[in-house]
Amino acid sequence: MTWEGGAALGILGIAAPAVPGIAVKTKSLLTGRRGAPVLQLYYDLWKLLRKGTVYSRTTTWVFRAGPVVMLASLLVATLFLPLDGRAAPAGFAGDLVVFAGLLALGRFALVLAGLDTGSSFEGLGASREVTIASFAEPTLFLCFIALVLATGEISLGGMLGTPLAVAWPRAGASLSLVGISLFVLLLAENSRVPVDDPATHLELTMIHEVIVLDHSGPDLALILYGGALKLALFGVLVVSVFVPRADLSGGVAVAVLVAGVALVAVAVGVVESIMARLRLNRVPQLLVGAAVLASFGIILQLH
Amino acid sequence: MHNAARLVLLLIVLSDLAVLGTTRLTSCIRGLAAQGVLLGLLPLLLAPQLSVHAVSLGLGTVAVKAVVLPWFLARAIREAAVRREIEPLVGFIGSQLLGALAIALAFAIASRLPLPPTQQSLLVPVSLATLMIGFLVLTTRRKALMQVVGYLILENGIYLFGLTHTESVPFLIELGVLLDVFVGVFIMGIVVFHINREFDSLDSTRLTELSD
Amino acid sequence: MTLVAVGLVLIVLAGVAAAALSRRPAAGELVFRALFGTGCVAGAVPALAVLAGAVVPDVRLPGAVPLGGWVFGLDALSAVFLLAILSVGAACAFYGLAYLARERGHRAVGAAHLLLAFLVSALAAAVIARAAAPFLIAWEVMAVTAYLLVVLEHERPEVRRAGLIYLAVTHAGTLLLFALFATWAGDAGDFSFAALAEHRQLLAGRGGMILVLALVAFGLKAGLVPFHFWLPEAHAAAPSHVSALMSGVVIKMGVYGLLRTVLLFGPPPPWWGWVVLALGACSGVLGVVWALAQHDIKRLLAFHSVENIGIILLGIGAGALGLAYGHPVIAVLGFAGAALHTLNHALFKSLLFLGAGSVIHATGARDIDRFGGVARRMPTTAAAFLVGSAAIVGLPPLNGFVSEWVVFQALLRGGVEGGARDAIQLAGLAAVALALIGGLALACFVKVVGVLYLGTPRDVVATTAREPTARMIRPVVGLAVACVAIGLLPIVVVPPALRVGSLVAGIAPGAVGPEVAAAGPATAFTLGLTAALVAAWAARGAFGRRQPRLEAATWACGYAAVTPRMAYTASSFAAPLLGVFRPVAGVRTARVGDTFATHPTDPVLERVVLPAWHGVRAAAAGLRPIQRGGLQLYLLYVVVVVAAVLLYLVATGRTL
Repeated sequence: MTWEGGAALGILGIAAPAVPGIAVKTKSLLTGRRGAPVLQLYYDLWKLLRKGTVYSRTTTWVFRAGPVVMLASLLVATLFLPLDGRAAPAGFAGDLVVFAGLLALGRFALVLAGLDTGSSFEGLGASREVTIASFAEPTLFLCFIALVLATGEISLGGMLGTPLAVAWPRAGASLSLVGISLFVLLLAENSRVPVDDPATHLELTMIHEVIVLDHSGPDLALILYGGALKLALFGVLVVSVFVPRADLSGGVAVAVLVAGVALVAVAVGVVESIMARLRLNRVPQLLVGAAVLASFGIILQLH
Repeated sequence: MHNAARLVLLLIVLSDLAVLGTTRLTSCIRGLAAQGVLLGLLPLLLAPQLSVHAVSLGLGTVAVKAVVLPWFLARAIREAAVRREIEPLVGFIGSQLLGALAIALAFAIASRLPLPPTQQSLLVPVSLATLMIGFLVLTTRRKALMQVVGYLILENGIYLFGLTHTESVPFLIELGVLLDVFVGVFIMGIVVFHINREFDSLDSTRLTELSD
Repeated sequence: MTLVAVGLVLIVLAGVAAAALSRRPAAGELVFRALFGTGCVAGAVPALAVLAGAVVPDVRLPGAVPLGGWVFGLDALSAVFLLAILSVGAACAFYGLAYLARERGHRAVGAAHLLLAFLVSALAAAVIARAAAPFLIAWEVMAVTAYLLVVLEHERPEVRRAGLIYLAVTHAGTLLLFALFATWAGDAGDFSFAALAEHRQLLAGRGGMILVLALVAFGLKAGLVPFHFWLPEAHAAAPSHVSALMSGVVIKMGVYGLLRTVLLFGPPPPWWGWVVLALGACSGVLGVVWALAQHDIKRLLAFHSVENIGIILLGIGAGALGLAYGHPVIAVLGFAGAALHTLNHALFKSLLFLGAGSVIHATGARDIDRFGGVARRMPTTAAAFLVGSAAIVGLPPLNGFVSEWVVFQALLRGGVEGGARDAIQLAGLAAVALALIGGLALACFVKVVGVLYLGTPRDVVATTAREPTARMIRPVVGLAVACVAIGLLPIVVVPPALRVGSLVAGIAPGAVGPEVAAAGPATAFTLGLTAALVAAWAARGAFGRRQPRLEAATWACGYAAVTPRMAYTASSFAAPLLGVFRPVAGVRTARVGDTFATHPTDPVLERVVLPAWHGVRAAAAGLRPIQRGGLQLYLLYVVVVVAAVLLYLVATGRTL
């Protein structure tokens, strides 16, 4: 692992809570409000870490394990992305399956923790979350397959690193479609509008928020941090596809990555202010639309 | 020029997919209008040099496909007071998947058709895809207005296919293509008007009541 | 080989002892355990040796039988299936001793153990058979003993119906197997597998028919869509340990047959590979969609077997395409993934069935919606079931992930290694189907674990659950430990799997090494992930010790009067997904007065098989008047036929 990769990893870990802050700030400014400060999530995490925890009597160890497993799997998943634009710290053949599997592990643990409370609200959120996830996974794989066909590599470090920069001139149109599809996936997996509204607190309209209703204190801090890290990870995916950084020098590549993720957060804020949340039975249609875009990218490559 | 034409063709496919995926009829008409603008740009990008002929063809296409027809359709929507499409016969997810299948088939077939080679290799596949998607919209949607939109997309596909032969085809054929569109829309407009007047709705599945 | 034979004999003896000593259950169980365990170990040792690279020569027994000689052998393919059979067989047999213990008074429990022992030995004999005669005899014994075990609770009509469907289907499969062997061997007369392999050159046009017959015959046994309709019925009707054995191993005999066919046939034509890939994708997706709709936990697990057979067939399809298009690495990886997933599925599916069996044994109920909060009363079973669920979903670092990852590699390499315009690039799209299967499986098992084990009890039945005895827990925990061990150490299982894959693909064992499949880095990853999880858990525990902890009721936005009836049910949980898949899900809703119920059906059984069966019965009823029993009528038939034959001879001018 080069020092740029290590530095990028550190920056990602420390700056992740700022990413949702940028999205919220953009949305507030566009809707005419001042909005919360960009660093709000840091204050929230600090406050939560100093609090105690309340556990429900119906819960078992599964409830306590949920946030821990989710965050640990996300941190391991970060190691498979080429943050410096060239190669990833860890990688082997077929590790895109590993990436998807780690995200699934985190989701499994968190949803089970939600069901452990025995409340119907968490059950509602869990049911919707797994429905959306069932359509998000094949879409993610379609995007990955488009990258596989473009670069000829089956490892994430290769698919998003140097071979991608080589493939851009030839397959630019297809890769742009993949990037758009990945952005829609970002909105779906991180529960942003139009899939889910992170700001609403009406029980019947929440998806992700409602699964974590009963977590408190440090557990909630872990979940919030994990959510921010996941948003940053998907931002890294989108930036890597749109802006191949293999030809840039190490420090510049990292700076471009940071700027790119910030730009993605701004884009998320813009989308959140111009669109309304979709009706729940339209969300699979949105994800199938993203999948169709990615498959069009694949068709262009095979042409 | 080559890359710009390629970009325009890709945007045409995206506009097809947008029409397939949306429920609001006004969005469909906006997609159709966008498609008209793109189709108007295309002869200008494909012609080896800008001539009066190419420019006038482009302007005429834009005028008809992007201005007149969408305005006519929007007026029909206002008079019939419909806003949204109800669930199509194959479902929204099904129509999107069929659209993707149509695009795949178009690309697969186009490479096997015995056509003279054109310099823009995407033109034939995109025209076939647009044709098939237009047919898909025409057959699976319930509202008569959506069927008109589907017919127009079908005609756009045929127009695209005709663009492969602009060099060897005289001006008369292009006029004939445009006239074809006019006649089709005219008939569809009359039919829509009569359906609406007779049944107070534009749901074409209710046409089966005629046979009772 | 002798060690394997000794093992089989010991297993059979164990069953006989259990039946003979049924008056003295304690002694009988002890003898059964000792003999069965020794037999399994005796059989497993040569299997492990072969998987590590030893070569065992074939054994040809003297004596003539109508279908050719008796040949037995043990190669890598047989070894991996033998390992699955013996390990799962031992777990299920030991579990069954405790499971059936309280039925001693009114059921032939000793006979049940005898039949189980026969079943396990028949399965083992089928995989070591190298000629048609022993194979078919073992196949028949397996089918009949499985039937007898399925109808153990024969006083229930649905059990009898399920057994009848199972019997009819398995015999249809056997008939097709006879046709397969007959077509393949032709006029040669030597039905040993070696002879069949050499016969490949002389096949001419019959190759396609052989492949289709093999696919249908072994697909019927494996439970491939659309031949799966017997599976949920039979596996739900059987006692839990028998269901575990059937789902874990018996349906894998279909997979074994397909792999053996590919091994003996050589590179198949591309269309067969595409058909297998398509059927695998359909089975996988439809299996899990149908599983989502089920309320009964055993039917749900049975449909998941259909899904996993689909995944295995995706691997076989990828391998077949690799062979057909000349990409040896893809071929080896595809078959290796299929073989590895067979072993893994045997382990975690039997774990899930045995865990469910513990719950059913304790409470007597099978409907998921009546449970809730069982994890507090049965913590060990719940933990083992959770391990099995995570394994079947394919989550790292468990064994399901390892085999699915190998299958994914085969499919993704198809997209990469084919040159531009090579048809095999489309195989990459099957990876999308595999991803969809994984996502839907996650939804289904979150539903099962969440509704059954977590939350609050929904019915008084759930409060009667209690942890089973140590003898019933030990097999379950043993299987869970095996799942975790295989998941943590891919470097141990992937090289033998690659050896099996190379054998099936007909490539030298060393050509595709473990570094191609990246087994070393994968092991580093699984160990690292486990370390990270453990470290995170410990850190959270240490951090939390210094802070206040309170216990309270579930907050859930402050709703005060929560009753168990308000908890989410399994059918509500699955409703959004089933709504999207409504055309194929086969869920019927019934509205009676002010009650509303959903009822899952199997579309293939209800809309294809049963109407076809009724059509056949109607046609047969139309033919019934021919056999009215009157002697004069029969004499008239004889006279008419003889006269017709004479007329025919006269008309065509031939002599007799």
